[in-house]
Amino acid sequence: MSVEASHMVIPISADRTRRGGLRVPNIPRSILLSALTVAMLLATWTVVTEMGWANELFLPKPQAVWAAFVKTMTKGYQGATLLQHLGASLYRILTAFALACVVGIPLGVVMGVSRNARALLNPLIEFYRPLPPLGLYTLLVMWLGIGESSKLSLLFLAGLPGIVISTIQAVTSVDPVYVRAAQSLGATRRDLLFHVYLPAAGPLILAGMRISLGFTYTVLVAAEIVAASAGIGWMIWDAAKFLLSDVVIMGLIVLGLTGIVLDLAMRAIAKLLMPWA
Amino acid sequence: MIKRLVATLAVTTLALTATARAEEKPTKVTVGYLNLVNAQLVTKHLGLLAKEMPGIDIKYVKIGGGGDMLRAIAGNDLDFGGLGNPPTAIGATRALPIKGILVINMLDYVEAMVVRTDKNITSLKDLKGKTVAAPFGSTTHYLLLQALKDEGVDPASLKILDLAPSDIAAAWLRGDIDAAWFWEPNLDKAVKNGGKILVTSGEMAKRGYPTWDIGVVMNAFAEKYPSYVEKFVKAECEGIDFWLKNPEKTAEIIAEELSLPLPDATRMMNGTGMVPCSKQLTDDYLGTSAKKGKFVDTLLSTADFLVKQERLPKLLPRTEFEAFIQPAYLEKVVGH
Repeated sequence: MSVEASHMVIPISADRTRRGGLRVPNIPRSILLSALTVAMLLATWTVVTEMGWANELFLPKPQAVWAAFVKTMTKGYQGATLLQHLGASLYRILTAFALACVVGIPLGVVMGVSRNARALLNPLIEFYRPLPPLGLYTLLVMWLGIGESSKLSLLFLAGLPGIVISTIQAVTSVDPVYVRAAQSLGATRRDLLFHVYLPAAGPLILAGMRISLGFTYTVLVAAEIVAASAGIGWMIWDAAKFLLSDVVIMGLIVLGLTGIVLDLAMRAIAKLLMPWA
Repeated sequence: MIKRLVATLAVTTLALTATARAEEKPTKVTVGYLNLVNAQLVTKHLGLLAKEMPGIDIKYVKIGGGGDMLRAIAGNDLDFGGLGNPPTAIGATRALPIKGILVINMLDYVEAMVVRTDKNITSLKDLKGKTVAAPFGSTTHYLLLQALKDEGVDPASLKILDLAPSDIAAAWLRGDIDAAWFWEPNLDKAVKNGGKILVTSGEMAKRGYPTWDIGVVMNAFAEKYPSYVEKFVKAECEGIDFWLKNPEKTAEIIAEELSLPLPDATRMMNGTGMVPCSKQLTDDYLGTSAKKGKFVDTLLSTADFLVKQERLPKLLPRTEFEAFIQPAYLEKVVGH
């Protein structure tokens, strides 16, 4: 079950890491191609709206979205500026994600190293992993109320399985030769953990963390639907109620861009921590 | 001779159009109805729409609030819907392809602001620093902000939360909120659990802020199947008549539809203003096609309020709201 799912994930991320190593000669071209995609998208958007092919209620012009951005940056949307909304959301995402890492990585390591632990905990992880976040959320709201704790819990629960499963996968795929070599040199269990398992599994754990951050992101709007008064997800939800699609699209773009920035930041941190990856 | 020819031609054309029209029949009609207490529940329960439209697949979709209804309309998921005056003002301003064809209900004490008894809240001024919930974009959110403005209370001095009615009930039971302005059947759960009514929507109507729900039809549907819009209005009018003539049976129907005890259903019924269809064409309501009624004024002032709240980009001229109200179908049904 989990093993198959992770098998699908790992090769892709491993691929990415490898490509990272060969990146230098590719830079100009890949950036050019990426820029081309963005330019094409913008051009299509402009043409479609300028020609009046799309109802402006559903797809406003790029300049309307830009105007919504400027207005929200300076005057704010319903009592908070864009940066305040973004701050509220980032606080929720990063807190929940940090908690998910703090809980998920040790849990994954334990489950990866010990078959018994894996057998004990797997049913829990496997059961709630496919539950739709909104279904889970109604229960969380009843248990924890409408404040921050239910929102953080939802984001945490969305992020946790990804980390746990890829950490298990990362630890179990550590070459046993490394372990035996270290043991023959007299390594203790503690040495094994910090000098063999974690360094060897690190890159794959990081890949799992990146995926998990993505999952946390996907439930942000859901988390902020209930009783939030700030946050990008809430702003999108509220604007949709009043059919302010320019604000909705602007919010989605901001959300997407911050996601990219966070992902880049995580890769940069990983490079510092794990130069061997 | 020529006259007769013209007459024959005219009759033939009429007959042809009539047949053509008779052949045009929707295969499926989707009605979005709001989760509140009104005669639409009677119409649905008695299958009155199915009687008007035999052989047509009729689908009823329960929708929690105006915001969701707007999204469903924008997403073209419905043929008929119901909207309170704030979402209607939003929809009309944003040029959603809908027309208002029928008064579903006038909101009296079926919508009210409930406050926690132990918090010693006796006026809106006491709400400062408290947590108050309302479904944003709905009639009650609109009335809450209007009431605060009239009392001179700065909305920023309290914490106003956006919650769906069912979530308000849950949050109330947990003690997360001190006050809420929302509607039955969930309102009652708050009242029965340490709450009391501070102000009702009916009282706000007397202060000049009437709130109501209006039945709407998608323009595309109305253009394609105008006779079916009439059938819809006729069925809803029969439901309203039944409500007015058989209050006891209606209470039983509502109790059953909403899984409520009978006394609660009766109270909620009495808190809802039902307007007989013939009266809907008077100046207090929709008015006539020639002279639209006070609903236009309410829409205009609601839209103006929403513009000031920065929830709407601009205030449309009165004519746009007049064009939104279409009593023509009702006029045919009532026989004007």
